[in-house]
Amino acid sequence: MSGFVRRRLLWGSLLLAATLAVISAYARWAGATTREAYLSGWVLFGLMVLLTGYNWFKKIPYLPLGRSEVWLQFHIYAGLFTGVLFLLHVRGRWPTGWFEIVLTVLYVLVMVSGVLGILISRGWPKRLTARGGEVPFERIPIVRRQLREQAEALALNSVAEARSATIAEFHARRLHAFFAGPQNFLSHVFEIRLPLNALLNELGDLNRFLNEQERKVTAQLVTLVRQKDGLDYQHALQLTLRLWLFIHIPVTYSLMLCALAHIVLVYGFSAGVR
Amino acid sequence: MDTAHFVIDKPERWDSSFDPDMTEADVNRLLEIRPFSEMNSGKFSKRTPLRGILKNDARIRRFKNGEIIVRAGDYGSSAFLVLAGNARVVLDPGLPVSLLGQRKSQHKSLFQIVAQLWTNPRDPEVRTPAELEQDTGVKVGGEFKGVFLQDVPRILDEHLTATMSPGDFFGEIAALSRSARTSTIFAVGDATEMLEIRWQGLRDLLRFDDHLRHHIDRIYRERTLATHLREIPIFRRLNDEQLKRVIEQTQFGTYGDYDWSGDYKRLVKEGTRSPEKETIIAQEGDYPNGVVLIRSGFARLSQKFGHGHRTLNYLSAGSQFGLREIAHNWAHKDTVPFQHSLRVIGYTHVIVVPAPVMEEIVLPTVPRDQLPEFFTPAELAGTEQSESQQKLDAGAKIGPELMEFLTENRYFNGTSTMVIDMERCTRCDDCVRACASANEGNPRFLRHGQTTGRIMVANSCMHCADPVCLIGCPTGAIHRGQTGGEVVVNQATCIGCSICSNNCPYEAIRMVEIREEDGAFMVDKDMKPIVKATKCDLCSDQLGGPACERSCPHGALKRMDMNNLDSFAKWLQR
Repeated sequence: MSGFVRRRLLWGSLLLAATLAVISAYARWAGATTREAYLSGWVLFGLMVLLTGYNWFKKIPYLPLGRSEVWLQFHIYAGLFTGVLFLLHVRGRWPTGWFEIVLTVLYVLVMVSGVLGILISRGWPKRLTARGGEVPFERIPIVRRQLREQAEALALNSVAEARSATIAEFHARRLHAFFAGPQNFLSHVFEIRLPLNALLNELGDLNRFLNEQERKVTAQLVTLVRQKDGLDYQHALQLTLRLWLFIHIPVTYSLMLCALAHIVLVYGFSAGVR
Repeated sequence: MDTAHFVIDKPERWDSSFDPDMTEADVNRLLEIRPFSEMNSGKFSKRTPLRGILKNDARIRRFKNGEIIVRAGDYGSSAFLVLAGNARVVLDPGLPVSLLGQRKSQHKSLFQIVAQLWTNPRDPEVRTPAELEQDTGVKVGGEFKGVFLQDVPRILDEHLTATMSPGDFFGEIAALSRSARTSTIFAVGDATEMLEIRWQGLRDLLRFDDHLRHHIDRIYRERTLATHLREIPIFRRLNDEQLKRVIEQTQFGTYGDYDWSGDYKRLVKEGTRSPEKETIIAQEGDYPNGVVLIRSGFARLSQKFGHGHRTLNYLSAGSQFGLREIAHNWAHKDTVPFQHSLRVIGYTHVIVVPAPVMEEIVLPTVPRDQLPEFFTPAELAGTEQSESQQKLDAGAKIGPELMEFLTENRYFNGTSTMVIDMERCTRCDDCVRACASANEGNPRFLRHGQTTGRIMVANSCMHCADPVCLIGCPTGAIHRGQTGGEVVVNQATCIGCSICSNNCPYEAIRMVEIREEDGAFMVDKDMKPIVKATKCDLCSDQLGGPACERSCPHGALKRMDMNNLDSFAKWLQR
């Protein structure tokens, strides 16, 4: 059994055991007390504070608090466990009232963004590595500019060398925008090659109007287009790998603020409840 | 066809002499002093005459009272001959590290670690006065920017020392075997004069003059070899008499280029690295005439595969080659040749115990069950692999491509190489941010480097087993830490000469202009910026180990000892 499977089994078993324990305890408390929602609420809130703390943990790496890898595993499985607590807390019913709906929507957003984030964090690095030609994210604009300048130089020089503006016009019409910035974001995310193939087909079709010298230029342009497409692929995936946290974290803090307000409101309007 | 060529003069051996100020008069003076006066200049080659060696590979240095000549723990590339005055060698226990211009290894307290939350400066590369403060017992200065002991009489009172007088020779073992200096030697009085001979000159003197070679061999056999052989299990049962006989017949060999890092950088630029260009120490198929013990440096273990050679492993200091074949031949009537080839990677210093010595003296003392596994006919025919072969074949465990990658890029040198699994790394840069946080806002590595398949070796100090960066540091500012052997730079004694940075084959040391706490650049009296060497120190002052590794949420980054490929293989298959 590989270490990967062993770790998943261990954390999965812990999650299952915690789920079974909390469900059976809740069933017992539900009969004995009317304040079970308070208990589940506080446990849920405490766990959410711990989960939010992972973001702070990452900002103080010099504190000897163990490996981030272990804390992330805890974050994932404890995050899933909050789902169980949340369902018990709301007694499996759909929220009523706009504040409860806001709370629920924020919770679902945090959960969904977290699950999606983990899925892409596990799967997309393999895609990036398999595609090759990796460029550090900060250097992508520099490489893009170099490719754009090379393409422009090829198109401009072809006018003087071949005494024809066919390639230059094609560049102005189709390639200028392609090289100007990141393109086809969603196509890259969903691994769709249609936009690249369409552009390459257009470049291929152009060849029938070109002489031998110009065809050599288009061959070089095809190479640049492929390089730029690879760069856009790196950009799209690396950007998404960074951006999902920009959804997950702000929504988490919004949820925490709303949860605090929820606690204040609950205690403010709970007079007489035993 | 255009036949124009760019023509340059062929580089010569002595294009760059050790000291351009060495005069003929200096050389004449040296030739009248022992051991040079006893050398037969006719034995030297025309290309490297004795006079030429002394003029180009040696220099006369004058040391002031208390100036450290060699420092325990340093990696030096030259030997010294006392010409005039006296020097003292500090006997065990040596001087405290602070007196040697090095940094005391100590962790920050928990409060200091927490305080980093608010004490980390906003500007890069800020140094506080405390960080740049020298120990009161030492001073950096002098002609060669050396380190001076301030209170010599007290040191002489408090430490055991031995006197070195004119004619005494020292530092040759460390220079030739590329090992750390074992003692600190400092000058006593202002009239101490030394002849410093760089390793190239020392090598040629040994090659052409039996007298000096016998002298150094004798010292090496007396001081070092017995201890070294006693550490190897197969020699442990020898009694003193047997060990003496083994030592007498043991041969030494030095292969490759001592300055391999410079050559390696050139080869990388030219893109001409190739195993075929490496010097062969022992060749597959040859008669095994001795057990090769690697004393320092590295060697590539390879086996013929198709029309080329497949790297099985690389051997480092403490490894042996050929024992299995010799033990088999001793116990059987047939003769098994070397099953692998051993090639030099960079620089290798070896000890060879001849086969007859092994058969007559060593192997009879070894119990049968502790002898290496003998070859079976099936293994010799290549139809099955023995357990020994499987153990040796690290290439099969981590994959042949990765094995070649690690060898060709000399990554085997790393004891804490930063390896990143690119199929797990989400490129989040948490590792870079953690490194910066633990180093006052200054990241000490780049998350970028050579890649093969899913493995990237990032540009970070690997804390090499053979730390070429330590060679030539005039103040000993770059040194090994006392706790984990990590290579660290003492900011107080670093003079910003860039020797370490230029020596490092992996470009892991950066020279930076430092700032005061208010953000202004520090300058010297000529208004030139103060420059210091910076590099990864494995977070040696933090609790909990390297922040980069601890901060990776996906377990994609690991500091690996590349001499333990079993744990690397385990990590790859985790």
